[in-house]
Amino acid sequence: MSIERPKLLFVDGTFAELAQAMADIVQVGEQVKPLLEKEQNEEALQIIVKASSHLNTVPEKEFNPSYNLLIHLVLESKDPKKYLPIICSNLLKPITSSPINYINLASNALTTIFNNLAPDNPLRYNVFMQICRFLKQNNHYEGLRPMLKNLPKWLKEWDTDEEDARKLWVEVAEIASEGGDGEESYYSLIQALHTFDREDQEEITSQEAQQLSLRALRMALLSDKTFLFQDLRALPTVQALSDSHPVYAQLLDIFTEQDLEDYSDFKEEHEGFVEKEKLDDSKLERKMRLLTFASLAASTPNREIPYANIARALQIPVEQVEMWSIDVIRAKLVEGRLSQKDKVFKVHRTTYRVFAEKQWRELGTRVDQYKTVVDNLLAVIRRQQAERDVNDD
Amino acid sequence: MAVATEEFAHISRPLAPNVLAFGASTAPLTVNIQPQAIFSILDHAVRRDIRDTQSARVIGALVGVRSEDGSEVEVRSTFAIPHTENEDQVEVDVEYQKNMLALTLRGSSSAGAHATSSHRECLLGWYTTSHELNSFSALIQNFFASPETGTFPHPAVHLTISTTTLEAPIQTRTYVSAPVAAAPESCLFVEVPHRLLAADPADRAALESIASAGETESRSAPLASDIESLARAMETVSGLLERVSGYVGEVLDEERDGNHALGQHLMNALSLAPKVDSVAIEHDFNNHIQDVLMVSYLANTIRTQIDLAQRLGTATLIGFDGEKKEEGEGGDRKDGRKDGGGRGGKRGGRGGRGGGQQREPREPRENGE
Repeated sequence: MSIERPKLLFVDGTFAELAQAMADIVQVGEQVKPLLEKEQNEEALQIIVKASSHLNTVPEKEFNPSYNLLIHLVLESKDPKKYLPIICSNLLKPITSSPINYINLASNALTTIFNNLAPDNPLRYNVFMQICRFLKQNNHYEGLRPMLKNLPKWLKEWDTDEEDARKLWVEVAEIASEGGDGEESYYSLIQALHTFDREDQEEITSQEAQQLSLRALRMALLSDKTFLFQDLRALPTVQALSDSHPVYAQLLDIFTEQDLEDYSDFKEEHEGFVEKEKLDDSKLERKMRLLTFASLAASTPNREIPYANIARALQIPVEQVEMWSIDVIRAKLVEGRLSQKDKVFKVHRTTYRVFAEKQWRELGTRVDQYKTVVDNLLAVIRRQQAERDVNDD
Repeated sequence: MAVATEEFAHISRPLAPNVLAFGASTAPLTVNIQPQAIFSILDHAVRRDIRDTQSARVIGALVGVRSEDGSEVEVRSTFAIPHTENEDQVEVDVEYQKNMLALTLRGSSSAGAHATSSHRECLLGWYTTSHELNSFSALIQNFFASPETGTFPHPAVHLTISTTTLEAPIQTRTYVSAPVAAAPESCLFVEVPHRLLAADPADRAALESIASAGETESRSAPLASDIESLARAMETVSGLLERVSGYVGEVLDEERDGNHALGQHLMNALSLAPKVDSVAIEHDFNNHIQDVLMVSYLANTIRTQIDLAQRLGTATLIGFDGEKKEEGEGGDRKDGRKDGGGRGGKRGGRGGRGGGQQREPREPRENGE
């Protein structure tokens, strides 16, 4: 559905004129002049691009215009691929003339290159990698974030192979985690794990797959926001961990669908594992309590949990039940009300830690029920309308 | 109606030339567009004069507000600018643009006199009704971005909108521009993100009924009553639920892998759905309908009552007059009253205003005769 991209750059003048002007800016005018006179444009451009690191020292208000001209020349040439890496790497170097605005200047030039390449040009991938690298170098995650939503579509358009896509996702995950966005970082890692071919046993058990899976797992365990592990566990690379890292796999099972008691057993069985792997026990235990609460709420048919049951399942004194209830509501795992008078927690809604067939079935019934209600209502309205029409006549 | 994905990267907007770098902000720019601005552009495109302008596109100015830091602009209205364009030259009526802008701005500032200075409307840029960018676009863009006639020091926004293709959905794109060294007339368009501001439900209902007119032969659609639009909305909901139910069914039949997050989300949404027994709902609804009918019945009764009272009021006057002054003509009285009643009803309004009918019985009597 996308219409052909319009051309974005409009410059008056012949290639030779513009190249000469460009050469003068980067101070190789004399060298280039004879070449241009003999119409050896490619050679001239090569010299200009080689000298283009000089642009990093031009006054900042001339920086972007100069780069725009250079990009124009390069894109007009026969083989832009040859010159773009040099330009990109120059842009990643510090811009001496602009200590304050250099991030904007360089990212402007980089995005100009990116945007002037056709959307399905695979070179865009390389340029985007450079943009990522640049933003990482300058801790400017904010610049990257608005573009992340486009990435899956872009990767498809560029027809990027799995390995390159993975590299990009890992890079993004790193930038995001440095930028303090744990959620985006986790999401990117999951995306990276998706790039492994699920049919290829060798690939999903590879060293790289193991490392990435472990990283995602640890991140999920320690994150304040991740409570559902079902999707993570379903990934083939993560499943492969049960052979290479059985203890981690066991821990993941516990977090996916078991209770606090199982976690305590696990700690007894593998004493020192949590400490050795630098997993924060207090965090894990807290998360386990919240998850146990969710399970408890899901498995209570009459939707009322007495305080005593909560205290028992969470292994906490009864006085703390209300605090934990509030925490679990805040974690958005359960919704409900505390009834201090009756000493019960009334469940309105729960999150299912494992969304299996049973849950789908229940969902199906609920949808159908609701649909019947809506249809009935609609019938009532239509009937009333018909009656009114009859009365009006 | 936010734009879901983009085909371009946007990290920061270009530094305005010749501005002291220290104060200039280069935060990314977002353009918000009010639906009515789009409508006025489309209107302009539809009504364009195809006789003597060779160009298929029309241009006009974008007017709206700019946020204090300049990182967001909101296009609120537009006005058309006459221009002609052919192979080698383009002409824009600059004088017209200047006057029109002054008028538009004056209109908006007097309409919103309470608005603070930061919310005052100003020129934001220009639009055109073709996605093609060419060297004329560059010229016009430079005109709109220049210090004397344009938006300087803020970037001029260029909005392109496709109006020629009937099949493809209408697409919009927004750009700002950056200069290119060594060529004064040159221009680099930098695409920036934009979104159409979501219309509120009232707008949407209006749009829907307008759109439904396009599907009928006569190109007109009646305004749907509240109850009709409610019924339609419920039909839509029912259709959507049907789809969801189909999806869940497929998951259960293992025809496709269910998305757990989606399931969870649906479950949450449905746990909010009221679980009312359908008979109870029907009962409630009927009750409510009865209430509404009652109110409308009472309103009608009162209206009739007032009508009746008016007629009766003047009729008695006439009647009394007749009794007093036309005592002997008892036989004609019935006819006279009938006749007078009709006119008296008309006169009742005036009589109420004047209030002096009782003292001046002559007028109705003259009528009565």
